[in-house]
Amino acid sequence: MATVTFDKATRVYPGSDRPAVDQLEIDIADGEFLVLVGPSGCGKSTSLRMLAGLEDVNDGAIRIGDRDVTHLPPKDRDIAMVFQNYALYPHMTVADNMGFALKIAGVNKAEIRTRVEEAAKILDLTEFLGRKPKALSGGQRQRVAMGRAIVREPQVFLMDEPLSNLDAKLRVQTRTQIAGLQRRLGTTTVYVTHDQVEAMTMGDRVAVLKDGLLQQVDSPRNMYDRPANLFVAGFIGSPAMNLVEVPVTDGGVKFGNSIVPVNREAVAAAVEKGDRTVTVGVRPEHFDIADGEAKSLSKDEPAGIAVTVNVVEELGADGYVYGTAEVSGEQKDIVVRVGGRSVPLKGDVLHVVPRAGETHVFSTSTGERLSD
Amino acid sequence: MRHRKYPFIVGFLFVPVVLYTVLMVWPYIQTFGYSLTDWSGESQTMHFVGLKNYTTLFGDTVFREALLHNVLLLVFLPVITILLALFFAFMLNVGGRGTTGGVQGVRGSGFYRVVFFFPQVLSVAILAVLFEAVYRSDSGGLLNGILVKIGLENPQNPIEWLNDPGTVLWCLLAIVVWQGVGFYLVLFSAAMQSIPREVFEAALLDGAGRGQTFFRVTMPLLWDSVQTAWVYLAIAAMDFFALVSTLTPGTAYGGGPDYHSEVLSTYLMRNFLFYGKSGYACAMGVVILLITLVVSVFALRVTRRERIEF
Repeated sequence: MATVTFDKATRVYPGSDRPAVDQLEIDIADGEFLVLVGPSGCGKSTSLRMLAGLEDVNDGAIRIGDRDVTHLPPKDRDIAMVFQNYALYPHMTVADNMGFALKIAGVNKAEIRTRVEEAAKILDLTEFLGRKPKALSGGQRQRVAMGRAIVREPQVFLMDEPLSNLDAKLRVQTRTQIAGLQRRLGTTTVYVTHDQVEAMTMGDRVAVLKDGLLQQVDSPRNMYDRPANLFVAGFIGSPAMNLVEVPVTDGGVKFGNSIVPVNREAVAAAVEKGDRTVTVGVRPEHFDIADGEAKSLSKDEPAGIAVTVNVVEELGADGYVYGTAEVSGEQKDIVVRVGGRSVPLKGDVLHVVPRAGETHVFSTSTGERLSD
Repeated sequence: MRHRKYPFIVGFLFVPVVLYTVLMVWPYIQTFGYSLTDWSGESQTMHFVGLKNYTTLFGDTVFREALLHNVLLLVFLPVITILLALFFAFMLNVGGRGTTGGVQGVRGSGFYRVVFFFPQVLSVAILAVLFEAVYRSDSGGLLNGILVKIGLENPQNPIEWLNDPGTVLWCLLAIVVWQGVGFYLVLFSAAMQSIPREVFEAALLDGAGRGQTFFRVTMPLLWDSVQTAWVYLAIAAMDFFALVSTLTPGTAYGGGPDYHSEVLSTYLMRNFLFYGKSGYACAMGVVILLITLVVSVFALRVTRRERIEF
């Protein structure tokens, strides 16, 4: 077991001016499950491959435990990796695939056998040990790839989108299996995915990357409740958070027909920088349907903002309303979650009020979080 | 509609099948017919002699020597060429390894790839001219010149590469290997590039060094291509006609000194056109056909393995 430290690790691909990974700094605790997430091209896979030793590190350092592994070859790093396409050796049986690393390391046959059988038992692969990968289903291949990593008992597991080749149902199932397995083995794990649901459900902590820059590292809960900037706010959560640009008013931020409380100093700081607007974020589930009792700024209109329903997605337990609303003179797309039993019809007008304490305010120019 | 399909297919197949039969199959049958006669090749008079040509053939020491040479080539040509080509292909594609940076070829691999392919574009006639200069038996030859210069050879008594019974066959083998490696290098490179990169990366992470990766991962995954290469090279090893007849000493189609570079095809041609023993030559041709057939089937059978899917 070991900690993993990215210390200002940077990767610049030859022929490119912009670093693919720029001064990445993450400390991963012993036994932690860290998920690297971000849109494609954000440098998450590159970061993982740098840790694996499959990619050069141009600047900074990477440490596993106390060892500086920045320029060590992959085999000396004591890591195991699960690839997106599994990269099983097609000419070997499942057992040989899983035992290959041990065989190379010169472990005696009897021990290889016991360790492979043990791992196979954990992963429910015992009856497939004699088969070749081509005779396995996608889910089974995925488990063999996992098994190959487990058998080695490495200090760190690296997983590069291991679930993206599975179908939706199997993905959800395997997701919990991998997370459960990691908790049981207690091995430090770095997991790369582009799927924010995987990131939120599996990780102890989540690191969001964009354009090679680390945006935020935090627990899934905090990531959801207190996104550090506009990008994280829009990226984490599905459907995405509603982000609406509104003008700054005296004493706070006016959102539709209600006032969103914001830290005065933060707003003042934003205004000082020349911002006339800020961006307010509200998650779809943090809109309350106004029934006329909520506090309104003007007596004539109902509270909150009027959303004209365009599309309704019914998911059974609840529904998502995709609509448009006029906010400070502009048409904005708004998503609102409603109860599964009371979905509005297309064309209806809903009056929604953001729930107090569940709004997020970001600087429009820098994207930084302004509210607490 | 099913019954209408077959006339349609047969219509298309008819012409190629007839052409194939007339131009390919019939000559084989004809050759076998001639091999049972004492045909001299210059007249149409011939007498049926039964299997006499075949019995003579097995007592013919020159034929046996030629056969032995072909068998030697059959063993060494594929083995040497394939191993060299595999090694170079591996180095060019995945062999280069610094400390980190994943899987890549050695430095300058794009350049080597082109250079290795050069010999393949030379025709056999050019090869013969080229290697006549290389193997020249005085210090003007490339090989002898170098050996004399570095003092390994007495300039008064240079090695006569193509006139020495001990070296002539191996010199010819070297030419074909030199020419062929580039082509098989490209063949194996292409096959290697169809293997997902991650497989090599997985091997790297599993701790396999270059040698282990080569023998335990690359080789088994290239087996299909190796098998194909083996069949091509085996057929090439049964030939060698052009090089032997142009480069080696001996009356009509070379084969010297004293039959030490004789191969089946040159001996056949000499019998057919020079000695006027065409019926005998046809019997030889039939035997060569059978040997080639057996070798090909054997190569395909023995090397057959499960198909590999990625």
